[in-house]
Amino acid sequence: MDVTLIGQSLVSGLGIGCVYGLIGIGFCVIYNASGIVNFAQGAFVMLGGMITHVLLVRGELPYGLAILLAVLAVALLGVVIERVVVRPLWNRNAPMFVMILATLAAQIVIERLTYLAVDDQPKTLPVFTDLPPVMVRGIAVNMQALWIVAGSLAIVGLLALFFRTTRTGKAMRACAINREAAALQGIPVHSMLALAFALSAGLGAIAGIMLTPTQYTAFDVGVPFAISGFIAAIIGGFGRPFGAFLGGLMLGVVQAVAILFFGAGLKTVVALSILLLFLFVRPSGILGLAK
Amino acid sequence: MTSSPSTILRKAFPVPAQPAPRGRLAAVAPWLVAACIVGYALVAGGYPATVVGFALIYAVFVSGLNIFMGLTAQVSFGQSAFAAIGGYASAILTTQHEWGWLPAMVAGLAAALAAALAIGYPTLRLKGHYLSMATLAIGLIVHEIAVEWESVTLGYLGISGVPPIDIAGYEVSSDRAVLIMLSACVVATALAVARIRSSRLGRAFAGIAGSEDAARALGINVARYKLVSFLLAAAFASLSGSLFVHVVGYVSPEVFSLHMVILSFTMLYVGGIGTVAGPVIGALVVSVLPETFRSFRDYQDLAYGAALILLLIYAPRGLAGLFAALDTRRKP
Repeated sequence: MDVTLIGQSLVSGLGIGCVYGLIGIGFCVIYNASGIVNFAQGAFVMLGGMITHVLLVRGELPYGLAILLAVLAVALLGVVIERVVVRPLWNRNAPMFVMILATLAAQIVIERLTYLAVDDQPKTLPVFTDLPPVMVRGIAVNMQALWIVAGSLAIVGLLALFFRTTRTGKAMRACAINREAAALQGIPVHSMLALAFALSAGLGAIAGIMLTPTQYTAFDVGVPFAISGFIAAIIGGFGRPFGAFLGGLMLGVVQAVAILFFGAGLKTVVALSILLLFLFVRPSGILGLAK
Repeated sequence: MTSSPSTILRKAFPVPAQPAPRGRLAAVAPWLVAACIVGYALVAGGYPATVVGFALIYAVFVSGLNIFMGLTAQVSFGQSAFAAIGGYASAILTTQHEWGWLPAMVAGLAAALAAALAIGYPTLRLKGHYLSMATLAIGLIVHEIAVEWESVTLGYLGISGVPPIDIAGYEVSSDRAVLIMLSACVVATALAVARIRSSRLGRAFAGIAGSEDAARALGINVARYKLVSFLLAAAFASLSGSLFVHVVGYVSPEVFSLHMVILSFTMLYVGGIGTVAGPVIGALVVSVLPETFRSFRDYQDLAYGAALILLLIYAPRGLAGLFAALDTRRKP
């Protein structure tokens, strides 16, 4: 096997791994705020790319503005899902599996609405900067991959800053440690849940927008992304946002190398095998469970 | 559901020598409605018979799902995978290898159980959302394999020309014969579920549904019984997949997609989760209703998803719960 070829797939694996990582962080943020695993996470990723495409092509808005509006719209949708689907169940003390089922149903509803509103054709976005790939020792690194890696690192940095220094970030962490104690301290736990949904939806949307120029988006791409993000979160130790990012990188790289050996058709099979491996050997992830 | 374990337990430990006239309508009404729908299809034949036939196949599938979700209060999004394994095994073995339908069905069942064991064993020891995601993934994987493994499954083209089931030399291929055979399958499935529910096994499931910690404290091996429940559900799914390919004569990857999963959840919740009749009545009602208005086709998944969310929030006990409520109102 050619060394450059392996290097090449490592680079593309890191790019997609960052995206899995961001989706994984999205899972953790909601899980920490509420103990809920939101199966509609993939819808946010799909909508990020899709709304940007619609604003860009049909709305003829400038690229930057389209991206900004798309992220805000998806974050808003996160709050709507929290209000319409999750909150009523939460108030009725619904069991965990009902919550999971309801969020998956929400995913299907969003997919179908997108299908009806747009169509079933794959859509793509222009690359952020139209420059030739950078050559490093014979390995071509395309600019979009650099954007994804740099963007993801910046977001992870900002999130760390948000959780460490701001009042709201600290309040969210307090909720993650103990919701009742947080409520007794006067932290509005319910608004924190809504905020967690907004944050996680926004993260998903950004991941989707950065990735779409290198691949494509269609109404039904969400679920496989959600599964990869979830696996990233498990590898990192469920509930650890930064562990999830590391897990995403690992998953992306392993998957990219596996594609090289087995072909792209078995992408999901490889991802699931990694999931099963972790569940067998170390279900608490590489960093151990958060608590 | 919060309500299902208590209903199961009441059934499992009957108070002696106390006939319950109050529960009679609730117990009989769903079966009467089901019998009326099947009876109408038998008389009418043609298209109604096809729709009701599909509904009966789904009734077997959803009854299996009900063992895992209703009786044991776990969730699996991957039951379509086991139906696909059963269906493809039947289709491939009968068309390409000249097997009889029964050995092919049994081979499919064995393959589905093996897959369920491989996925269930590591995940069932863990919290619910691990299993949910793993099962969602296996659904996608089996779909992917069905598409990619073209030399055997013919990819998107699908396998056609699957022979109908024959019983003692009589080929079950006419509308009415198929309906009668499927009805017999559904009755057998319902009897099996009822039997399981009132057995030692069913009580263990109910215990797990109520509280895993409490069940463990009572000496119930939680992981093992969850696995048994999962295997039972996979077995019914596999059988329904085999029935489908023999009745339709054709199989393709689209048959066993996420659409099937959402549809079956809607059926389960419409009918009433955790009851024996619920899956049957749910499958029939959800299949028959859309046929009454045609333009609905494009909006099917949307409507099923939205209906499912509303049911989960406002009517988690479904039609079976409705019948029971009517009954209580009549005889206070």
